[in-house]
Formats: sequence, structure tokens, C-alpha cells
Amino acid sequence: MKVIKFLTLFSGVLALIPMASAGVQYKTETIVEGLDHPWSMAFISDTQMLVTELSGNLRLVTDGELSPTPIEGVPEVLFAGQGGLSEVLLHPRFEENKFVYLSFSAPDAEETTLNRLNVIRARLDGETLVEHKTIFQSDPPRKTAAHYGARLAFMADGRLLITSGDGFNYREKAQDLDNHFGKILRVNDDGSTPMDNPFVNTPGALPEIWSYGHRNLQGLVIKGDGTVFEHEHGPKGGDELNIIEPGKNYGWPAITYGIDYSGAIISPFTEQPGMEQPIKYWVPSIALSGMTLYEADMFPSWKGDLFISAMKPGDLRRLELDGQNVIEEEILFAKLGRIRNVITAPDGSLILATDGAEGKIIRVYADNPGS
Amino acid sequence: MIKASISFLISVAIATVLLITQTTFTNLVWLSSMDMPIDVSVILSMMASDLISMNIKGEFPVGALVLVGMLIAFIVTRILLIWVNIDKRYLYALAGGATLFAIVGLMPLAFYNLDLIAGARSVFGKGYLIFTGMIAGYYFGARQTEGSTNESH
Repeated sequence: MKVIKFLTLFSGVLALIPMASAGVQYKTETIVEGLDHPWSMAFISDTQMLVTELSGNLRLVTDGELSPTPIEGVPEVLFAGQGGLSEVLLHPRFEENKFVYLSFSAPDAEETTLNRLNVIRARLDGETLVEHKTIFQSDPPRKTAAHYGARLAFMADGRLLITSGDGFNYREKAQDLDNHFGKILRVNDDGSTPMDNPFVNTPGALPEIWSYGHRNLQGLVIKGDGTVFEHEHGPKGGDELNIIEPGKNYGWPAITYGIDYSGAIISPFTEQPGMEQPIKYWVPSIALSGMTLYEADMFPSWKGDLFISAMKPGDLRRLELDGQNVIEEEILFAKLGRIRNVITAPDGSLILATDGAEGKIIRVYADNPGS
Repeated sequence: MIKASISFLISVAIATVLLITQTTFTNLVWLSSMDMPIDVSVILSMMASDLISMNIKGEFPVGALVLVGMLIAFIVTRILLIWVNIDKRYLYALAGGATLFAIVGLMPLAFYNLDLIAGARSVFGKGYLIFTGMIAGYYFGARQTEGSTNESH
């Protein structure tokens, strides 16, 4: 017991000691504890944040205080394997319309042994979601509870990008355009299909497909100039960071830098004409999980860098970019355990979510703002 | 006992090799359908690599999985044979099939229906792999039958 008390005190003291990264001094503070598999966060004001728990609750955090009751009106989700309540994203005009987007896995309405990735839009009225509208359901349904993707991001033109994973058992379908496995989809904010999507005139192709040949897409951010950064889990090795362009084929599983979990070679090829290369890949895998592009002012020397959360062994990667090339990688917070997601707060601090049944939200802020 | 042990290890090897090569060919056939440049050297190198990697680089060594499964199944069969008067070859074939069924049919149920062996993702693939277990079991049963015949003389 004394040892536990000592370790608790010691870790508390450590948290107060400023840490440094490439000359940047920062501190960390835990702002929320006891979250059940936190997955995604979104600030609805300077002081209020929504947090999804994979188990199916949407939680409200106000000034670092977790509201004891979850947001009402969240649909029933399938919490199994990697499935559950995943992304929360605000509409670009949230201030006006209060629209919130949620992605989640749920049983198929007709065949309940199967399930689908769903995306809904709802209006946040106080602490209740109302006026639900399903704007996307993956097709066909799958029997597996893994590789959903489920990340969302709005483009500058107001279109919504949805990542849809390969469902694990269905990896070859990532190369076919007649299904949603291993794809990035682009839809309007009401779920309708933009007529300038790359495959709208391709016979047999689903018109909402934006890019294909993906595995389990877990990170999606869009730079001000329109550049779409996406990362995805490889199998055993071969996690990738890609720049996404419409209509392009990212190769999975015809080309890959990883091997199967069984040890089998999925493909001996790492490149092929007509298939895109990642701008960075990791062997062995680091289990990429979330991503933010730092464009705030609290850490000027980090401006323009990508921060990628990782779950294996668990850390945060800072990637310095020169155009579309990664020129430096720094490992931060290697002792926090599995980090599920990272976002940038309105004040410019970084917000991390740790994975697991006792997940935490941790704030990273400047020791000397503007350093 | 030594003969039985050797027969057992050969039957494990039969099932393991057939399982691994089936996964290799499942991947090769699909890659070929995608017009990837598959030639003899690619086929041979993938087969050789899978035979090694699926036993040492994967999350679970396939050979060890088959060995443990068949050991349990064959011990149960040996006990059953005390009371049941069925041709050993067929009963061990059933045991071998049951082992592969457990690996490719039941094991995924513990992992949210994920088929960790790529060749087992289709019904045909599962059926073929169960059949390979039966071949391995039949071989072992046949060797045991030969042993009984020799002992009786």
C-alpha cells in the first residue's frame, strides 16, 4: 500500500515537471479519468468538449468536469471487438445549426448476425441529440467486428469524408468499387452524393467512393490547402501515412509493407503502377489510432506538424513535414500507455485520450506559451 | 511407441503443410487475378516463406496449433477405440477433421468472427482445410492399423 502511495505521489510530481521536445517546453495534466474506451473528442466551445466512449455513450466535459449523465439520444451501438460508438464530429457551421455527426457500428436491421458502419447526423439540443438522420450505412454488411475505419472529416467545400475499413475478412474487396470495404467515401452534409465524385460515371461503382485500396483507416485530417492526410493500420507491419487524392488506389492488399497476423505473405509486392505509395510507413506496426495537424499558436515550433497517436507500444508521434515529405519523427509520451486519439484544443493545447476501460483525457500545454 | 510418435509427427506435418500451402495459393490466385506479376519464382518464394513464417513469425505458430489439436483429438480417439469398434483409419480421419474444424471453424468465434488464416475465409476454404485434417488423421490411423496387424502375427 505504501509503495502504491509513493508511486502515485511520485507520478504526480513527475507530471508537474516540465518536459521538453525539440526545445519546446510543455506540461501535462489529466483533466478527465474513468472513461470507458474513449475514442474521439470534439470541442463544442472553448470550455466544453464531447467525448465518445466506444461502449456507446457520448459524454460532455465542461471545464475539465465530466458530466455524470451521458448525452441522451445516442443510438444503440454494437460494442464488440473494435466496434462501438466511434467518431464525433461537428458540422463546419455548428454554431448556427448545432449538427453533430456520429459514426458507430450497429447490427443490420434485417440480419442481426451481421453489422454495418453507420454515420448519423443529429442536432445537439442542450444535452440531448434530436432530429436524427442516417446519412451513411456501409454496404454490404459484415459478420466481423473489426476494421470499421469510422473516421470523419469535413473538407473545405463542406463535403464529408468517411473512412470505411476492410472488415478484416473482406480485404480483397478493397480493390473492388462495388462495395464500401476499404474505401474513403465523400458525401454531402446530408448524406447525398456529390456529382463531382470520381466514380459517379463509372459503371458498377458506388458513386460515393472517393479513394480505395485501404485497410483500417484510423486517422483523417485535412489541411487548409485541401491536402487530405490519412493513416491506416497495416497488418503485421505496414502501418501507412497517405496523402489522399480522389479516384486513387492505395493498393491494399495487392501491395503492402506488412505480412498477415498468421505470418503468411499477403502480397510480395510493395509497389505497382497505378497504386499509390504512402509518404511514410512503419515496420513493425505502431498501431496508429488518431491524428491532428497542429496549426495553433501555443507551440509555434510545432506549427504544421502532424501528431499521430499510437497504441503499440503506446506513444505520440510528431511528424515534421516539408511539403508532402516527412523529414523528422519524434516519439513523445512513451509512458502513457495506449493513446487512442489526439486533437488540438481551441486554446492550442493538445488533448490526448488514452485507451482502455479506465481511459483518461490528458492536456498537453506550453510551459512558456509561445516558446 | 516410437513408431506411433513418428506417425503422429508426420500426420501433423501433412496437415500443417497442406494448410499453409492452401493459404499461399489463396493469396497467389487473387494476386494473379489482379494482374500482379506472379511467376514461378514468386510462387516458390512465397511457399517457402509461408512454410517458415507461419510457424515462427505469426501471432500463433500454425504447426504447434495443429500439433496440440491433433494430440488432444488422437488421445480422445485412442480412448474411444477401447469401446468403439470402427476402423481406426476412419475414426482418426474424423479426429483429424475435427482438429481442423476447431482451428478454422470454432477459433474465429472467439475473435469476433475474424478468420486469422486467410485460406479459411471462404466456406470452400474451410471445407478443404477440414479435409486436409482428415487426410492427416487417416494417415495416422492407417499407420496404427499396420501396427496392430504386425503385433497380431
